[in-house]
Amino acid sequence: MSRVEAKKPSLYISEPLTKDIVHQSLSVLRGVLKSCYGPAGRLKQLHNGMGGYVCTTSRSSAVLRCLSVSHPVLKVLTASVQNHISRVSDCGLFTAILCCSLIENFKNINFLSCTVIKISKHLLSLCTDYLKSEACGCRVSVDFSNLETLFCLVRSILMSKPACMLSKTEIDHLTTLIVKAFLLTVPCHVETNAVLGKCIIVPVKGRRVVDSTVFPGLLLETPENQLAKPLSVKRTPSNIIKIALFCVSMSGDLFNPEEGSITVRHGISLEMSELDQLLNVGRQLVNDEIGLVVCQKVIHPSLKQYLKENHVVAVDRVGLSMMEPLSQMTGSKPIASIHSFSPSCYGSLKDVCTESFASKHFVHLIPNDTLVCSLMLCNRSETTWDELKCAYETAERVLQLTIKEPLALLGGGCTETHLASYIRHKSCNLSTSSFKAIDCSQTQYQLVADAFCRSLESVACSLNHDDGDIFTDVVYGHCWFVPSGFSSVSNWSDLVSKCGCGINDNTQNLNWRVLQSQFSSPVLQSCPKEPSVKATDFLTLDCFAAKCSGLQVAVETANLILDLSCIIEDQN
Amino acid sequence: MAAAPLELGRLAQEAAALAGAVRGCLGPRGGRALLALPTGAALLTRDGRRLLEALSLEPPTARMMVASACRHRGATGDGAKTFVVLLAAVLRGLRAALAGAGRRRRAARALRALEAPVLARAAAALRRHAAAAGGGAALEALLEAYLGGRAGPAERRPLARLCREYCERCAPCAAARAAALRLAGEHFAELHAAVAGPPLAASRVLAGLLLRRDFAAYCPARGEVAAVLVTQLLHAGLAAPGVELRVESEGQFQACRRWVARRTENVVRRLQSNNVRLLLSSVKQHEVVIYFAKLYGISVVECLSSEEIALLRKITGISPFTPSCDDVRREIAEITVATFCQPLLLGSQRYVHLGFTSTCAFQPHCLILCGPAHSVNEQHAAAFQGAFKMLEQLFKTVEQTEECEAEGESQNETSDICGWHSSTAQKQLPIENISCNGNQGSEHQLKTVRGEAETQVVESDLQRSENPACVQTDLQMSSSPVSPIKELSALPVRDSSSRDVHKLHPKWKHPDEVHKSCRSDLVVDNQKNSSTAVLAADNANTVVSEHLDVDKDTEKINRNIVLFKHGKSYTNSEQNYSNLIIEAGSVLPVGGNFEILLHYYIRHYAKQCQESIVADISNVIADALLSIPKTLYRTAEGNSFNKFYLKAIDALRKNEPLPMNQKGLESVYCKYQLVISVVNCITELLSIDLIIGVKRPLQKIEDNDSEDDF
Repeated sequence: MSRVEAKKPSLYISEPLTKDIVHQSLSVLRGVLKSCYGPAGRLKQLHNGMGGYVCTTSRSSAVLRCLSVSHPVLKVLTASVQNHISRVSDCGLFTAILCCSLIENFKNINFLSCTVIKISKHLLSLCTDYLKSEACGCRVSVDFSNLETLFCLVRSILMSKPACMLSKTEIDHLTTLIVKAFLLTVPCHVETNAVLGKCIIVPVKGRRVVDSTVFPGLLLETPENQLAKPLSVKRTPSNIIKIALFCVSMSGDLFNPEEGSITVRHGISLEMSELDQLLNVGRQLVNDEIGLVVCQKVIHPSLKQYLKENHVVAVDRVGLSMMEPLSQMTGSKPIASIHSFSPSCYGSLKDVCTESFASKHFVHLIPNDTLVCSLMLCNRSETTWDELKCAYETAERVLQLTIKEPLALLGGGCTETHLASYIRHKSCNLSTSSFKAIDCSQTQYQLVADAFCRSLESVACSLNHDDGDIFTDVVYGHCWFVPSGFSSVSNWSDLVSKCGCGINDNTQNLNWRVLQSQFSSPVLQSCPKEPSVKATDFLTLDCFAAKCSGLQVAVETANLILDLSCIIEDQN
Repeated sequence: MAAAPLELGRLAQEAAALAGAVRGCLGPRGGRALLALPTGAALLTRDGRRLLEALSLEPPTARMMVASACRHRGATGDGAKTFVVLLAAVLRGLRAALAGAGRRRRAARALRALEAPVLARAAAALRRHAAAAGGGAALEALLEAYLGGRAGPAERRPLARLCREYCERCAPCAAARAAALRLAGEHFAELHAAVAGPPLAASRVLAGLLLRRDFAAYCPARGEVAAVLVTQLLHAGLAAPGVELRVESEGQFQACRRWVARRTENVVRRLQSNNVRLLLSSVKQHEVVIYFAKLYGISVVECLSSEEIALLRKITGISPFTPSCDDVRREIAEITVATFCQPLLLGSQRYVHLGFTSTCAFQPHCLILCGPAHSVNEQHAAAFQGAFKMLEQLFKTVEQTEECEAEGESQNETSDICGWHSSTAQKQLPIENISCNGNQGSEHQLKTVRGEAETQVVESDLQRSENPACVQTDLQMSSSPVSPIKELSALPVRDSSSRDVHKLHPKWKHPDEVHKSCRSDLVVDNQKNSSTAVLAADNANTVVSEHLDVDKDTEKINRNIVLFKHGKSYTNSEQNYSNLIIEAGSVLPVGGNFEILLHYYIRHYAKQCQESIVADISNVIADALLSIPKTLYRTAEGNSFNKFYLKAIDALRKNEPLPMNQKGLESVYCKYQLVISVVNCITELLSIDLIIGVKRPLQKIEDNDSEDDF
């Protein structure tokens, strides 16, 4: 009997956001995340102090997963950022930093939380409407016939992952590979609802990054001695290779846990009988002119031998994860019964050959119609390889999102500062009826809008990790980085060369001013313009869908946290 | 054993502490509470019941208060926080007004005697300010006010719109809305999918059902798809568990194996020959079944939960298919048709999306709730479930009052034409009489508050049925020969099935006359059997209202209901409902109107009380009522409560309509019920004189105090 213990009453904390502890932990979290942000982000080493795996990273997903936040308010924040990451896998740090700054800035205004929430919701809708409108000055449309914008997108993602330790040439090489792999998964003949194919990553650690390659079709790893060399595969008269895919074990064992008992008379061997049945299957396969047999589980050695003698290549233990791409690629149906199967389950392949890299041997299945490809990803060490894999996954997801919505946002902090100047401009010219609809005064609105813009700008400032200055121009509202100590120079156009995203340069006088300085007078902001030159190469671009969603999540989460009136902590 | 006398001061303190805990979350300007669970999870909520339960208090009297508040919330779907605030204010007032144990007991007695002379009369007087709710706009206003206390400030309006859309699409026919909402509330866990990440604006209502898993086998099919339910394994092994198979030879063994595989294939083939294209299984099927299903073009969804199976059965009305090898040729009877069947990706979770045309009142729709974090979605889902509960109660009556208003004028002319000469009708008569008398009795002696409220509904029904357009089916129903009293009280809604028995009766009699003729005999009887009266009334109520609605729909009487018709409802109620306390489905605008009105009228009637202690306590309650609007207005700028209060009282004195500045509505019935619940709770608390701590666990005598039997 268990010991009965009286339940302890809960701890009640009212107005949690006024407590210092929340502010302290929030600013610690913000500091950690801020230092990870961007191409120059500082790396974090995560370890458990007990000899476990050490991870060197600046990824938000890894950092947020490993940080054990103690305060329940921060748990809400990290949980919603993690949700965002699991959905779009990009812009996690942007979301988290923006959310933290929003909470701090809104808290400092010290209005009634529901007023702040209503206003910030309105500001958010201004932002999203602007981003989705044609007039938006900080987005570019992605042209799939010209690969340059796709390269820019992927390159920006790889550059923002400093833990991959990639050089410039390596980044260029990987960018090409990733875009190529992605394009291989796009179906050629698009019907009503197109489904993207799959790219399988083959890990090769300890090799140079430039050795990475992409193959159309699948690479199945096999032990070296198993295949005859040179590989001779039986073909049908129409010169295709027939493939049979089994998802049932072909090892000849009789283990079936949920069934009743079987009594066997002395002298009868069920194993032999099973093996006979397997060989019957083998005979049927040979008769059906099968060239390749792939089994998810184990194939009995005798059957393998029999198949080999009949020039049928057998690959076993491919695992569950390979089954779906295999059946998608070959058009075969995985067979689950060795007693009854029909030829309609077989699929076909164009070619089969062997490849070997770095002590690993593969059978390379080449399909007629590529929708599945394999990306052999190499990096020097285990940790950097893991980072590279995550970077690849992010890039893949971003490309998938982009094909749905062919837009991209200017990166390098330019979108943030541009949006901030747009909101500043907009909030001055709002009609009185909209204040009435939100139930607030104009002053209240402008104070909240200012806090909102400062939060956006602070995200742009987080890109800068050395003590330099950040300028913004009045014409386009872009973001410019300047080395420190020069802010007193009279001619600023000598200092700045290119803006954060790389679309503007210093040829015209753009009337710069210092971002986030206490002393700068509030400039009467005109609506920021769209850059006239549309140079599309070597821009820093961000995924449109991911950034919009990040903005939304950050504002909604900040609202959620501002709305907290009490915390009830269960002490049991 | 430790015994401590119960002090009023202590009670007041405890209640004040509780009120302090929930006050921050009360009303449209309130915030959320974050519950940090012992598991480490963080839960967001504004639900009063959740908050109070999460406090896990120690003092027994405080626990009693929490229990009463939660009981009230369970019954009406609303008002746990307001309950606590009001309770604290009343106890504070009582402490100031009373001193000494003797007076306390007398106060408890006085509280019991308070209801009929003061509270009921005050509520009856309040009626002329209330309006009837009907139509989509009023529904949204009600929902907005309700969700205003349960969601964030920016989320209220979109959620209310979403909830209205959901209600209207699930139950397009307003008559069946109560039943549909009950089902939606029961199965809400299966009827909504929460997606963490996208903004709230991405939430939507989706036709059909969502099953929270991927297809085990998916064969795309266009158009309608025949489906079966399966709750057992379709593939049987060589020997069933506990059965022994004797193997005599290798050939025999292989033959057995082949036979087993063939048998499974035959089952699947039989499904295919019956054109079944979708298999919904509650168990995980053997991979051989999946293989054959793919081969024969049948999609499979497995591992459905028992709740999902129950919901599917309710909607489709089919029972699970049982395979047997003998009847391969026979047709499968239990087949339903899904209008579509496709995979759906929400966030990173895959769903199976099925469309069904329902065989019951509920048209299957599901709700996709989006929010930045899971805890928000959970909060919204809980709020929706509460809203269904609130509406479920209100819906029965909303439709009725709608008609009351429209048909009020025509009553007097039509009433003489009606006569009632039906022999079968006589059997049914007692039900109505009991219920009507229950109402009459309650005027004088309030025994059960609930009985009273429910019976009023019936009364209003019957009165409305005087409209000739409605009277036929209405009375036919109640006079249908197949429904004697006992059956009615046992099976609430089933009787409506008997309505196909349509007989035309040549003449109708004004129902009121019938009541009058029978009333004298049954008054005594009624008091004994008040509980059966309540049951019968309840049944009659649901059935009658359904009838009315069917009628209304078929005749397409278009009634645009204006939300507030003060003058009209005033005259109506004076003429027709002089014996009612609260009209069914009546609503008031939110924001403290109800409290101020009740405060005003309680004070008014308290002056007429003979007993001084009753008058005192009435005044205490009247003043305590003001604490609710005070709390609601606390965060607004300036002295807005005082301004609002003075304006309202001024308007009342001059007999003008109240100033209104908010759009939301709330149900008068729920609000009045809240006051009664608080009074009952205080009576209970004051009747205790000693608290005794015991060492061993107390045995619970019975456990049927669930929220459903309220």
